[in-house]
Amino acid sequence: MIYDTLVVGAGLAGLTTALRLTEQGQKVVIVARGVGATHLAPATVDVLGYLGEERVDSPASALTTLLSDVPGHPYGRVSREQLGASLEWFCRRLERLGYAGGLDHNRLFPTAIGVARPSALAPRTMLGGDLRDGGRFLFVGLRGFKDFHPSLLADNLAHARLPAPVTARALELEPPAERRGDLSGRLLARRFDSGELTDWLVRALQGRVEAEERVGLPPVLGLRRADETLADLENRLERRVFEVPTLPPSIPGMRLYDTLTAALRRAGARLVINAAVVGAQAHDGQIESVQVASAATTMSYRTHSVVLASGGFASGGLTLDSRGAARETVFGLRVAGVPDEGATRFVAGYFDAQPLSRAGVAVDDLLRPTGRDGGPVYRNLHAAGAILAGAVPWKEKSGTGISVATGYAAADAILAPSALGVSGSIG
Amino acid sequence: MSSLEADVLVIGGGSTGAGVVRDAALRGFSTILVERRDLVDGTTGRFHGLLHSGGRYAVKDPSAAVECIAENRILRRVAADCVEDTGGLFVATPWDDPDYGDLFVKGCEATGVPAEEIPVAEALRREPRLNPEIRRAFAVPDAALDPWKLVWGCARSAEQHGARILPYHRVLDLEVVDQRVVGALVRDEHSGEEFRIHSKVVVNAAGAWAGQIATLAGCVVNVRAGMGVMIAMNHRIVNSAVNRLKFPADGDILLPLRTACVIGTTDVFVPDPDDTAIRQDAVDLLLDEGEKLVPGFREARALHAWAGVRPLFEETHDVAETRDVTRSHALLDHLAREGVAGFVTITGGKTTTFRLMAEVAVDAVCQQLGVERRCTTAEAPLPGSESHTLYGLDSRLAAREPVPQSEEIICECELITRSRLEQTIKRRATTSLDDIRRLLRLAMGPCQGGFCIYRATGILHHGDRVDHTEANRALVSFLEERWKGLHPILHGDQLRQARFDDWIFQGILDVEHLPA
Repeated sequence: MIYDTLVVGAGLAGLTTALRLTEQGQKVVIVARGVGATHLAPATVDVLGYLGEERVDSPASALTTLLSDVPGHPYGRVSREQLGASLEWFCRRLERLGYAGGLDHNRLFPTAIGVARPSALAPRTMLGGDLRDGGRFLFVGLRGFKDFHPSLLADNLAHARLPAPVTARALELEPPAERRGDLSGRLLARRFDSGELTDWLVRALQGRVEAEERVGLPPVLGLRRADETLADLENRLERRVFEVPTLPPSIPGMRLYDTLTAALRRAGARLVINAAVVGAQAHDGQIESVQVASAATTMSYRTHSVVLASGGFASGGLTLDSRGAARETVFGLRVAGVPDEGATRFVAGYFDAQPLSRAGVAVDDLLRPTGRDGGPVYRNLHAAGAILAGAVPWKEKSGTGISVATGYAAADAILAPSALGVSGSIG
Repeated sequence: MSSLEADVLVIGGGSTGAGVVRDAALRGFSTILVERRDLVDGTTGRFHGLLHSGGRYAVKDPSAAVECIAENRILRRVAADCVEDTGGLFVATPWDDPDYGDLFVKGCEATGVPAEEIPVAEALRREPRLNPEIRRAFAVPDAALDPWKLVWGCARSAEQHGARILPYHRVLDLEVVDQRVVGALVRDEHSGEEFRIHSKVVVNAAGAWAGQIATLAGCVVNVRAGMGVMIAMNHRIVNSAVNRLKFPADGDILLPLRTACVIGTTDVFVPDPDDTAIRQDAVDLLLDEGEKLVPGFREARALHAWAGVRPLFEETHDVAETRDVTRSHALLDHLAREGVAGFVTITGGKTTTFRLMAEVAVDAVCQQLGVERRCTTAEAPLPGSESHTLYGLDSRLAAREPVPQSEEIICECELITRSRLEQTIKRRATTSLDDIRRLLRLAMGPCQGGFCIYRATGILHHGDRVDHTEANRALVSFLEERWKGLHPILHGDQLRQARFDDWIFQGILDVEHLPA
């Protein structure tokens, strides 16, 4: 059996590429060491939230400036049409999660510490938290869930720089529990799925929510039926209700992962998790097969194309040794943007620009990793997501946007390489 | 302007100052201690944590070795809860002078440091990660010392005997009348308020900053700052303190400290004790030396680096090499030296001998005041050490295990519960998460606060005392301070962790855009 495409990595970029290719009729296999960064990140799609110190209102217009300021940015490898199409496709494909938004205006959602954070798309469970029109907000904490501190959130949000006035207050409730120990997000999510906590929460909030107030909750409304729980809460409380993302593990991210992988399996793709790519055979500049170690055996997978979506330094797709040499961990690709040995890799100010921040795999216009000569290392190897050089996604608030856009564009490059070319860039 | 009065004013909140204030309080003097920052924020909180057996100094600095072994025995008794009995080894690697071993044996015999030669195979059995090429090994009674518990234990004991402990109080000037120091002008660094403290004797225990303090009284103390860099490594790569069998040099000690282990140290003169930026070459040197002791060390996971400044006292400035300065302490009675009464400087030395330093300093105080009062710190246990039970690595877990899931664990790495954190915040009345860190070890584990610091900030803000601006400042300052110790050692898994933490603080929480 020969796969059309083998995808390395089960994060948002890898899942996007795989699903896009599968629905276009390809035989696809995903090989991953484990779940990806979906379980760590808010499930919003952040295209571009900040340009330097400026909060971005319209990603569509800010992208032009970004690409002239940062020529090697991953968005420079994606055409404007592809970016728009990728977001529309994402909303359509994940209809069950009710994503809304677009490239013209970012929405502003509160973070768990009370900062208004810009996102292009958000799932239904978070849409009620959009701060752009101002309003009155009540944030409700659940005693025992230590990753959500509503009073700090509300206090900061009341002092945030926002387009319209916001008032915010906090309330902490004690969910019924047998013990006073930690209540994990997963545990709470399961208890919302069973309906038990929904009933309790409605009763506990009875008479305590003021008129016109929207109710912000920790992101634990369920793993299987969060949307039904949300609708149920909104009906019974007669208020808008929404989730506020917080520290990992991310329950909304798990929903996203579960929804994407379920769609993949339905469409006939194969997922091999707990497996590592340990080698590859190439002939005449093309990868022909990939060795995959899983449990006690190593198997060879033959494939026509490969997409490398193994993540950046945070996910293990890239690594740095003690002497400052960086390595791409699957194929040993060249890592661009790494300061020379002996040069400064990190400066002493935590919030300052760090010389190593933009390090990653450099690619051509078909998202193919390039060698020192600028040409593709393999004609059928593409890269997508956090492994790409050129972005500082945690500062730009661009991580999930880059993953969706480049994952989608990598699929395009595989499906119709000739239709694309150097003319396709956004800038 | 308000004022305070005491028999003895102690300047400096490291182990020396805390030892002096306790000793003086136990001898019945009224006492005040002032420290410009938090207690244990200076050199004492930035050393490797070795309770010396004296083996390190047995050849080169015999008087220091004699003091070390005596104090080692005393602290195991009176500060038992601060001491983990890890034991220690001196091992000769292929890079070490093979003749040093015999000098070491003679030195230990002469100074009374118990050193037992053990077969190399036995050393490797005790420490399986050690370089199998080692040629000789000696077992010594080294141990690990918790400097935070030690200093706070002294401070609490002193408070029980009437002392006032004033962290974040900076000495602006010393008041000298007729060649006698009669007190100090002090500023409360939190409120900005300035006031005077009148005293009969001032003890200058400012360590590497002792020269700066002495100048305020018109006296000269030639204390130089010898900066040492240390790196904490994830896991206890060794379970006992491992020293190289050679003349003391850079990067030749690797010792366990709670769940981590520490390699140290470097030693260079620095002109300003407050300027301790860590250079990449110092980190590389330590990693290379670590590799000689434990193969694979270079690429093992480093957690954090820090630098401390030894107070190196010399009467003259002739000494070029920091390693050639004695590690014995120096008591300077400024009445005898310069004719300035009511002023005593105690400097040099090391944390292992802090109690002895305090004893000789307070003896000098007694002499100046013309009284005789006996020192009792060699017998009186510190609070928490009354049972003389040595600290065990399992003590935090042992305290949690009988009542699992009884409350939230805020810092999983260090097993810190919500109530413990809340009580400490309340008791210290602080808004600094770094102060809390030093008391509880909050955020000192592998994730370096990635998870617990948002939680701790929320809890700090939860009461009525701290508003959002103070809470935000606490979080941001913590992250900035933490980064100073992280950025020099970021590679491998700790870079992965740091990038993950960037995602948490910048990517998810967006703390760069908190309201000012």
